[in-house]
Amino acid sequence: MAYRHIPWIVKYRPKKIDEVVNQEQAKRQFIPWLQQWLSGRIPEKKAALLYGPAGVGKTSLVEAAAHEYKLELVEMNASDFRRKEDIERVAKIAATQSSLFGRKRIILLDEVDGISGTADKGGLDAILELISITNHPIVMTANDPWDQKLKPLRDASLLIGFNRLSERDIVLVLKKICSIEGIECEEDALKYIASRAEGDLRSAINDLQAIAEGYGRVTLGIAKALVSGRDREYNPWEMLRNLFLSKYAWQAKRAVTHTNLDYETLIEWINENIANQYTDLEDVWRAHEALARADQYLGRIRKTLSWDLLSYVFDLAGPGVALSRKKSRFRWAKYQYPQKIILMARTKEAREVREAIAEHLARRLHMSKATVKNDVLPYLLVIFRERPDLAAKIAIAYNFTDGMIKYLAGPMANEVMGYVRKLREGVSEAVTISSSSKTVQPMLSGRKTSLERRTSTGTTSRRRRSSRTRSNKGQRTLF
Amino acid sequence: MSSISELLWAEKYRPRSLDEIVNQEEVVRRLKRFVEEKNMPHLLFVGPPGTGKTTAAHALAHDLYGENYMQFMLELNASDERGIDTIRTKVKEFARSRPPQDVPFKIVLLDEADNMTADAQQALRRLMEMYTVTTRFILIANYPSKIIEPIQSRCALFRFTPLKKEDVIGRLKLICEQEGCIYTEEGLETIYEVSEGDMRRAINILQAAAAIGRVTPETVYKVVGLAHPREIREMIKLALDGNFMEARNKLRQLMINYGLSGTDVIKQIHREVFSNELKLPEDLRVMIADYAGEIQFRLVEGADDEIQLNAFLAWLSLLGKKLRGTPA
Repeated sequence: MAYRHIPWIVKYRPKKIDEVVNQEQAKRQFIPWLQQWLSGRIPEKKAALLYGPAGVGKTSLVEAAAHEYKLELVEMNASDFRRKEDIERVAKIAATQSSLFGRKRIILLDEVDGISGTADKGGLDAILELISITNHPIVMTANDPWDQKLKPLRDASLLIGFNRLSERDIVLVLKKICSIEGIECEEDALKYIASRAEGDLRSAINDLQAIAEGYGRVTLGIAKALVSGRDREYNPWEMLRNLFLSKYAWQAKRAVTHTNLDYETLIEWINENIANQYTDLEDVWRAHEALARADQYLGRIRKTLSWDLLSYVFDLAGPGVALSRKKSRFRWAKYQYPQKIILMARTKEAREVREAIAEHLARRLHMSKATVKNDVLPYLLVIFRERPDLAAKIAIAYNFTDGMIKYLAGPMANEVMGYVRKLREGVSEAVTISSSSKTVQPMLSGRKTSLERRTSTGTTSRRRRSSRTRSNKGQRTLF
Repeated sequence: MSSISELLWAEKYRPRSLDEIVNQEEVVRRLKRFVEEKNMPHLLFVGPPGTGKTTAAHALAHDLYGENYMQFMLELNASDERGIDTIRTKVKEFARSRPPQDVPFKIVLLDEADNMTADAQQALRRLMEMYTVTTRFILIANYPSKIIEPIQSRCALFRFTPLKKEDVIGRLKLICEQEGCIYTEEGLETIYEVSEGDMRRAINILQAAAAIGRVTPETVYKVVGLAHPREIREMIKLALDGNFMEARNKLRQLMINYGLSGTDVIKQIHREVFSNELKLPEDLRVMIADYAGEIQFRLVEGADDEIQLNAFLAWLSLLGKKLRGTPA
């Protein structure tokens, strides 16, 4: 038990070069170069730069070689190169012929690409200086050696590339660890861990240890719930996958809490996809009702600012939804972006215009905006879409903007705006022509006939004209 | 100018003075006394929508102060004001403005006052007391029960009764004659029926119907159909057919394209549930109404429209599936 907290990546570090998994090509370059050093002939390149993705064995190879050839390993993290005393310490060691106990040395500078350009210009120069004076092999590692700023280092070094490890390589290592540790491991679980590791053996071993120590056994279910969320937040698709895969409440809760979505958006995503995931209607309802309860707590939080209710939101949106599945078989569903968010964005302008019209009319008609939207707008829409000529007059009476007309008239917008233009031109013409404009009447009747000509339905326009002549007398009597 | 522009008839034919209001006789008679005495208490107008409450308040102010009465009346709509604080600020400012010459008070008209929370009404009550020397409040509400007692007791209560059929039809006829629109008697009766005695809605329907042709039952139904699409009923039917996904999409369209709020939708669903158009076992109507009520309450509590209605539709779909599975 006392050893339990030794990280397995330390415990199972390769002791021999052979144990370094599947980097044969790198070994074929590195070992001869190292042996040349050890034989006393200084190679043309005094430094080697090992590069490749994280966790594929760069440092491990150096350590294994040091162990196998019994070399003293002087390790230094490249970021330490900022400090003058460190540089001097390493430089001293590098320049000395042999170590205190007669052992040969190997100097390892890890993560040299971690040196940032201008700020650490001095650090880079120090390394180059070190390479020029050294009497011992210098090995550097980097994930990405192709940065412009590292060019001087590349020029001074033997470049040795490392490959990303295959899933199979990783599974082999994990299996070996499992058998040594005496832990029951499902093959599928190891494969899952390996696939999530994306060629990074170190993170795979860390994942394995986390599961094994936490649960005593390594099953696919646990692996799926734990792995990959290790130190990052899930994107919405992963969140949904994790949520709907959850068998236990804690998994589901973890799924909904480990995401960078805000609460409303989180609920939108789940809302959109419940019916994509569940096939049984009863499950669908149970899940939607659980989500609705979560949303209700969210509403209460918004109203009362009681943020300690937030936990209940997650309880219901997570476990509440995930554990609603009783009859639906699990399936790989295709998840969808919340359509509401898309639609709201697409219709934002229209909704704003509608709001503006409602506000405008509410004042004129002495009603609330809600009443306008419910009792007036629906009929106004009918008039605007059925009678563009009449709509134009209403548009003028209420000073509707083009945007408002477009909203109200929809496909008829051009017709309505055409009539508005005609009506307004009619007025301005008349005003300029009849300078003694005591009567606006003649020009109006002139405009009337032009409108009449344009109106496709002659009967309606005739009716409109007769109504006009009769209006304005003795109204507003009843009620 | 009237011939290049056209007002909405709801505005055009709104009575301007108390004399023009021919129904609500009792109310009008009492209001006229206030005009004669140039004094009045705070007033509370209650009654169903479209019975002339707001119109009466404006007419009263018109008769008290004359054509430019709006400079002595502050009109607020409780549904649109953001809270009691904005109302307080506006009333305070208004109370400071120039007083009328021969009437000793100004008027604050607060429409849809029953939409205010009890707390906001308490604050309103203090506001009424604070400015009682210089201002009178007219509160308008559909339901008097939603106005807190201390306010009710400070106001003279005016009950507006639902309009009689003759009143509505007579008014519509008068408008038709002045506008020169062709109508049939049945057409106007249909308007009365679909508007449920709400004069404002009746006039809106009349204007739209007259715009598309002769005012007959057919055109009236056409207008109502165009204005209030049957999509709510379609949505319910889709759900009851067990088609949750399509019902959900329909809901989305309704809310986004027509700007309906979740509360609008759930209220309409509630109405549909008891209509004969939906073939349902009677006891299920009650169950559905119960769940609808629960959803509406959650919306009042601040929950999200679509999330709540989706739960409702999912349940309805499940119900529909079970109904079809077992013969009712």
